[in-house]
Amino acid sequence: MKQFVVIGLGRFGSSIARALSGKNFEVLAVDRDEDRVKEMEGVVSQAIVMDATDDKALRELGIADFDTAIVSMGETVEDSIMITLALKELGLKHVIVKAKSEIHSKILKKVGADRIVFPEREMAEKLAESLASPKIFDFIELSKEYGIVEMVVPKKLVNMTLRELKLRDKHKVSVIAIKRKVPYSKSDGTTDFKDEIIIGPGGGDELISGDILILLGKNEDVDKVQKL
Amino acid sequence: MNDKYTDLIELSDFYILSQKFDEAIKVLKKAEKIKKTEPKLYYNLGIAYEALNENNEARQAFRLALKLDPHFASAQEHLDRLIEE
Repeated sequence: MKQFVVIGLGRFGSSIARALSGKNFEVLAVDRDEDRVKEMEGVVSQAIVMDATDDKALRELGIADFDTAIVSMGETVEDSIMITLALKELGLKHVIVKAKSEIHSKILKKVGADRIVFPEREMAEKLAESLASPKIFDFIELSKEYGIVEMVVPKKLVNMTLRELKLRDKHKVSVIAIKRKVPYSKSDGTTDFKDEIIIGPGGGDELISGDILILLGKNEDVDKVQKL
Repeated sequence: MNDKYTDLIELSDFYILSQKFDEAIKVLKKAEKIKKTEPKLYYNLGIAYEALNENNEARQAFRLALKLDPHFASAQEHLDRLIEE
């Protein structure tokens, strides 16, 4: 099983530690603040109070045995640089670091960070994307030209089968899955729905209102489908 | 008057279960003209809007359901999920 060490338990660090732990990975959570560490006790495999800028203490932890470190130091840019450098020197293969600015990111790359994340910026871009196109739920860029898009089925296409739509023939876009809300009656007399996903739908599958199509294709072709 | 209201709510359940969410919204809007005090009307409206991915309207409907019945657990669950998206 993969082992992770999360250094810095602010908002981002504690969220990632919780998420990884929720996926049943072994997580060691480290912070110099006792209260933050206490909050993670019982949530992750181990939570310890430690100053991670102290490379002797890092070495004593046996840090090189971990698969991945996530460094999320909110307070000072210097700390995350020092820690990244120490982790790489101690032989940790995969170090992911949260950066605050482009300059910070450049320095982190120089000292050996394997991946740099800008959570606020990435989240802001995703939110802007969803506000700009409310019918687009998600977008994964596969290359500059190709992507996977989650899109609410346009009203015009409701009650049509995929065979009738001919998206692949007409627009060179493939429907790789359909997300559907399937309603049911609850014992208390109310109705509710559960999410169903139809992977690799067939030509006979008919679209219904509210379906979310997961489309694969060239960005410009997918754009055309959105405008149908 | 009340009979007609009950019929419309039942019809909305039927439409929701038949995945005809637009139709459900239409009958619920008619029912709302008769009576605005039942949380189930707004819950069903929230369910239909959420199924259509019209999440702003869905949130508003679940909020109205909770205003009428603050202990309506299913409405609260749906609202929480829509806010945290």
